[in-house]
Amino acid sequence: MKKRIISLWFPRLHSDRILRRQPMTGPFAVTAHAQNTDRLLCVNQEAQSAGLERGMSLSDAHALCPSLRSEPHHPQADQYFLSGLSRWARRYCPWVAQDGGDGLLMDITGSAHLFGGEEAMLNDLGHRLGHARLNARWGVADTRGAAWALAHYRPGIAAMGETERALNSLPVAALRIAPQEDVTLQRLGVKTIGQLTKLPRATLGQRFGASVLMRLDQALGTHGETISPEAEAPVYATRLTFPEPIGLSSDVMAALERLLPALCAKLRDHQMGARTMLLICRRVDGQDQQVELRLARPLRDAARIQPLFERGVGTIDAGFGIDQLRLVATQVEHLAVEQIAHHAPQSQDGLHDLITRLGNRIGLDNIQRFLPADSHIPERSFKIAAAAWSEPSGTWVSPAPRPIRIFPPEGIAATGNAPPKRFRWRRQSLATARATGPERIAPEWWLMDENWRSGMRDYWRIETQQGRRLWMFYTPQNPGWFVHGEFA
Amino acid sequence: MDVLHPAKPRVVRTWGICVIYSELCTTSNFTFLRGASHPEELVTRAADLGLSAIAITDHNSLAGVVRAYAALKELRRNMDEITIRSTKRVDPSSREELQGQDITLHGDHLPKLIIGARLILEDSDVDWVALPRDRKAYEALSRLLTLGKRRSEKGSCQLYYADVLEGAQGMILIALPHTLEQEASAHIRQMARRYPGHVYLGAAPRYDGSDQEYFNACQTLAHSTAAPMVAVGDILMHHGSRRQLADVLTCIREGCRIDNIGTLALPNSERRLKSPADMARLFRHHPAALRRTQEIADKCAFCLSELSYEYPDEITDGEDAQSRLERLSEAGLNWRYPNGVTDQVRALAIKELALVKRLGFAAYFLTVHDIVQFAKSQGILCQGRGSAANSILCYALGVTDVGPETITMVFERFMSEYRGEPPDIDVDFEHERREEVIQHIYEKYGRERAGLCATVVHFRTRAAIREVGKVMGLSQDVLSNLSGQIWGSYSRGEIGEERLRAVGLDPSDPRLMQTLRLIGELIGFPRHLSQHVGGFIITKGRLDHLCPIENAAMEDRTIIEWDKDDIDTLGILKVDILSLGMLTCIRKSFDLITQHEGETLSIGTIPQEDKDTYDMLCRADAIGVFQVESRAQMNFLPRMKPQTFYDLVIEVAIVRPGPIQGGMVHPYINRRQGKEAIEYPSGALQEVLGKTFGVPLFQEQAMQIAVVGAGFSPEEADHLRRSLATFRKMGTIGTFRDRFVRGMLERGYEEDFAVRCFSQIEGFGEYGFPESHAAAFAMLAYVSAWLKRHHPAVFACALLNSQPMGFYAPAQIVRDAREHGIEIRPICVNNSNWDNHLERRSDGRLALRLGFRQIKGMKQEDAEWISACRGNGYYDIPSLWLRAGLAPAALERLAEADAFGGMGLNRRDALWRIKSIRADKPLPLLSDPMDGEAIYEPGVDLPTMNLGEEVVEDYVSIRMSLRAHPVELLRPLLIGLTPHAELTHIPLGPVDVCGLVITRQRPGTASGVIFLTLEDETGVSNVVVWPKVYEQFRTAVIGGRLLRVRGYLQREGIVVHVIAQEVQDLSPKLAELGHPRDDAIGITDPKTDEAPRPATPKPRNAWHPRDQAKKLFPSRDFH
Repeated sequence: MKKRIISLWFPRLHSDRILRRQPMTGPFAVTAHAQNTDRLLCVNQEAQSAGLERGMSLSDAHALCPSLRSEPHHPQADQYFLSGLSRWARRYCPWVAQDGGDGLLMDITGSAHLFGGEEAMLNDLGHRLGHARLNARWGVADTRGAAWALAHYRPGIAAMGETERALNSLPVAALRIAPQEDVTLQRLGVKTIGQLTKLPRATLGQRFGASVLMRLDQALGTHGETISPEAEAPVYATRLTFPEPIGLSSDVMAALERLLPALCAKLRDHQMGARTMLLICRRVDGQDQQVELRLARPLRDAARIQPLFERGVGTIDAGFGIDQLRLVATQVEHLAVEQIAHHAPQSQDGLHDLITRLGNRIGLDNIQRFLPADSHIPERSFKIAAAAWSEPSGTWVSPAPRPIRIFPPEGIAATGNAPPKRFRWRRQSLATARATGPERIAPEWWLMDENWRSGMRDYWRIETQQGRRLWMFYTPQNPGWFVHGEFA
Repeated sequence: MDVLHPAKPRVVRTWGICVIYSELCTTSNFTFLRGASHPEELVTRAADLGLSAIAITDHNSLAGVVRAYAALKELRRNMDEITIRSTKRVDPSSREELQGQDITLHGDHLPKLIIGARLILEDSDVDWVALPRDRKAYEALSRLLTLGKRRSEKGSCQLYYADVLEGAQGMILIALPHTLEQEASAHIRQMARRYPGHVYLGAAPRYDGSDQEYFNACQTLAHSTAAPMVAVGDILMHHGSRRQLADVLTCIREGCRIDNIGTLALPNSERRLKSPADMARLFRHHPAALRRTQEIADKCAFCLSELSYEYPDEITDGEDAQSRLERLSEAGLNWRYPNGVTDQVRALAIKELALVKRLGFAAYFLTVHDIVQFAKSQGILCQGRGSAANSILCYALGVTDVGPETITMVFERFMSEYRGEPPDIDVDFEHERREEVIQHIYEKYGRERAGLCATVVHFRTRAAIREVGKVMGLSQDVLSNLSGQIWGSYSRGEIGEERLRAVGLDPSDPRLMQTLRLIGELIGFPRHLSQHVGGFIITKGRLDHLCPIENAAMEDRTIIEWDKDDIDTLGILKVDILSLGMLTCIRKSFDLITQHEGETLSIGTIPQEDKDTYDMLCRADAIGVFQVESRAQMNFLPRMKPQTFYDLVIEVAIVRPGPIQGGMVHPYINRRQGKEAIEYPSGALQEVLGKTFGVPLFQEQAMQIAVVGAGFSPEEADHLRRSLATFRKMGTIGTFRDRFVRGMLERGYEEDFAVRCFSQIEGFGEYGFPESHAAAFAMLAYVSAWLKRHHPAVFACALLNSQPMGFYAPAQIVRDAREHGIEIRPICVNNSNWDNHLERRSDGRLALRLGFRQIKGMKQEDAEWISACRGNGYYDIPSLWLRAGLAPAALERLAEADAFGGMGLNRRDALWRIKSIRADKPLPLLSDPMDGEAIYEPGVDLPTMNLGEEVVEDYVSIRMSLRAHPVELLRPLLIGLTPHAELTHIPLGPVDVCGLVITRQRPGTASGVIFLTLEDETGVSNVVVWPKVYEQFRTAVIGGRLLRVRGYLQREGIVVHVIAQEVQDLSPKLAELGHPRDDAIGITDPKTDEAPRPATPKPRNAWHPRDQAKKLFPSRDFH
């Protein structure tokens, strides 16, 4: 049986994706950086009618069309979008592959009749894509090359066996040959595929090498060409069905002891670690009970995961009994295989397990840690991050000593730019024994920070006779004294 | 335990003691992307604060010191003037207006300037501030920096500890250790032992709360290393407000955004210049450190004025320079005036010689004379330009060709006592052979004594917007909008609020306004040093004793660190070795005339005042003629109707931004045509303006008006001219304007006239011609016009062979030649050479044979092989491949240019045959096939090309076509058009024209009007697009290659305009010529295209929009 291929081309994929998300009218373009300038990669209909075209530099485009709006190209997002489209296209046939960055190939051999024939299938396809506000063009033919040519140069269907006739009048560029070869052929007067096929093969081979002939053969079907769809993503799940319902949590734990190693083995095979796991218990009455486990770091060690489930399993309401357990790793992360070293690096497993245990009680996001931040401003020289989703990193170096604790500035009654001899703070009467400073810190001018409205600060380390060591500052531009922190 | 003072006290007295402080370590913005203040600002601010001395110490560089020196000189000069005239004064450092009268500069003691550099070493954690004590030490420093610069690539300097240990004699060395570690102290100790008494330890406050502890630690280190501690500020900016700019510069340097700058930012703005009182408070426990700054300042006695320039000896030949000059000029005068030197000329020469003797510039004249002599001996044409033509000596020495008969020689403009500055002789050489002259100079004086001066590349508006915008994280759209707003106009960084709103930006957005302010501050900052076009410095001694030398980007070139203003300031002589395409063209014309006509001509022997030539110019038949070929000039010629040489001088000078901006063009032309009475504002000015009908046109006249009319002293007038060119730096233009207008009003002139004069002087600042310069150029204009009139074929050929130059592309030159009845023959492998050449026709006239140089992508070497191996001619393609050894790619170029037509092969057949040749060289076995073994290819009939395709192919390959004009082919498809040739005689009224765009101009002086020149097969039309129409048809006007314009026909004399009302872009029609590369037609030359338009012609290879960008975005591939 002859193959039937659809080549689906999204000529404005990049801009369509963005415009679907944030609809706007007027000229719009997606830009990418090439040859040292930002150039247009994709333009919408309005921009095209304003005379903009692909490859033009952004500044030229603005000169031509001042109202142009643009956004930079986001290759990953486009790729993600296209793979979404390719999954969607499987509604028409099982064999779908991506073609370049902006097209799909669908092998509809034997599936078109399910939709009432090719015509009806394409109508459906076009209707749905139009609904999704996507510009698309397609060609259907016996070969991948011919379908591509039609999609790009004369959208439509070439009936079975009519490939050559459909291609005859198309320009040679439709053969997917290099632009250079295309121009050379055209300059020689060979403008259509029909003219090309009439030339003696030997002369072509000598002049253009094998590539032009290969492309020609691929389009006409004398040279095979495969379509390779993407592999399915693995599913990380295992299950266990019981002949008799169980009801004890120790039984569930025992079952888990069988499920976990199988799941962990699968994770190991794919070099993955689980971040979130879900244990689904199906009760005999058809109700589900779920236990979620969120881990502080990716893990695939059954022996370590097992005890972490204990608390959650304890909360299961078994009802009349559970007859099936299903364990799914709902969120996985890459976890490379580690070499077993003679001197194993200091393990932080204990800490991670602790975070997991605590996190499953009070919420993983509520466990936080401090990370150093790069700023002169004391309030911004650290940041707080969720412990489970961050690694302890950076070094805590500070050119000047910083207190162990800082709090929002607390004003005290004092005047003058020299540290006060005596002052009251938090209802205590304090006397300065020694003052060191000042360290002058000016606000980060590019931020409009409310706390720094009072201008630059002169920080002093004040040792009081009472023993407290305070970090105080004076704001010369807006005179006033404040206590900002306390040294240990 | 005291605080840093918050306010900025202006009184130098604290605690009743007068503190003296000298700042010894400042980084100016000539440490590129680090320092945040101009040297001028630092010096002015130092004077303001009452510092007793300031050292400019850039990182491994002396590039900024001359600026500081000049600023100080300026301050000294202006001191009384400023304080006397007004009580209000603009703070030069912050540009804010200061109120009150108690602000006086400490005029009695301006800070002393100390020259120095901060040596950053590759292998040490200690920086050294090197301050030379005397000239000898300065030379050592300059040599040391040269050593570091020459061994590293352009723009960087690699110095090692050992270099400093070796070569820092006589300098004060202040150590600035990064840390007070063991290694640092070892380095300092060793240095102190090597240069006892010269090494100090610098203690710079850090404002991090531990300053006093740090000073104490420094004190301890100073004791242990025997290097006394001295206070330094480690200054980065002259004023605290520059902290933001300093952070932005850090971001540009590190390539990060301001939000990610982190701790690289300055924690505060304390690294600014501080008053002595502040420093005293900081160093109150170390008064000796403060005192030592003054000691060091006193020890550093070197001043840049000591860098006396000495002329090279070679030129004198053992003779006294002055007497040699006298002898040569005498001989020159006799050569110039074979019929005897007139008394007037003699008197001029004697006067000039006397002045030269008094100022001691004889050797300079001889240096220039030698270079010119060398060029002449090599047959290289050259001519002096600029003010040099004001000198009879230059005329006698053959440097210029304009004699005192034609122009008034104002020697004072060229050289004068009061300026005390050396004269400036710029000499143009043929652009293709200038390198020979440069190499001759290197050879004669040696690389260690001759060098090019630098050009400081500054942040221009566009670059500043781009860089600051990137740092501040503005989006691309906003940035290109901003750039778009300042397009064409060189705004000084000020963009009005309503203009912002107009492009959709929000003036209340603080981040945007911050960015705009920073952009304004950054504009004018130096960015890097580049090579000057041709300013040569030649010294007697070693050049690296004068100034550090660094490698240029070009191989075998070295440049000094200073630019031409710096050189001027220091009174060092330089010769500008410039290049001029027209000289090449004239020389080639002379050669061709000698070859074909047997006549030998030179610039001096061309018949003067030739009527036919002027008649031709009156008809505006001036394509290719030097200086008067531009669109504006061609419009002006028929109105001006030049009859004599002096008319040409005016013609060259008048169509310039200066006179146009000053509104001088119309009065002049009206007076000349007798439509307006010639009157003079006063008797005194009649003398000045007599030659130009009472309208000032030349720079000299503008200066003379300032002197005669507004009562400036000659010195002031010159100062005015100079400060105009650089007014951004000092910001004193307003005072000059008031003074000028007031002066003229006092002398009874009308205010309107005064204002107009001043605005013209403003224009002259950058764009005016002095009379002498105009005369030098007019001379070349006349010579080229004469050649065009009497030897049109020769001139066209020479012009084509000198490309790229001038205003027009080869296509227009060829077209013009054909219109003058010259046969143009196509490129042919059996007749053409690399250059275009002339062939004698059987009727005795000359025909122009196009050469291989017209073919795009053709290599000269290949072309020369073709000529060399030609013998009796090539009979087929393989013979070319085998004999001339051409690679298939080169053969393809030839086929595309249809160069095989002579052997009966059309383009396609030739290309088809060449495509089968795949090897660069013939293979030995296959080249001699045995009988019956050869492979015979099946014959192929390729479709023949139609005329449209042929024309496009012509354009693709040689950017013109001899076959037909594209418009001619498309004309049947376009109805209702008026051919351009008919525009001169059809009745005025609405017309429709269509043509290829050959030039597109938006002169800065024409308030947004765009001038288009369209070409069809019958001629050209001039289209005027007013801004309103432009806005409406923007896309077509900017991007179109083939335009149809509907508009009104206007005629004035023989000048014809079409005022556009509707513009239609017909470029897609070109595709109907049926060729994939139709985009090659109608691409305008960037140099004739001043109007906005897509920057570069897109290298498109295929017509489908999808394929077109493949080259740009190669990521797409097929499976």
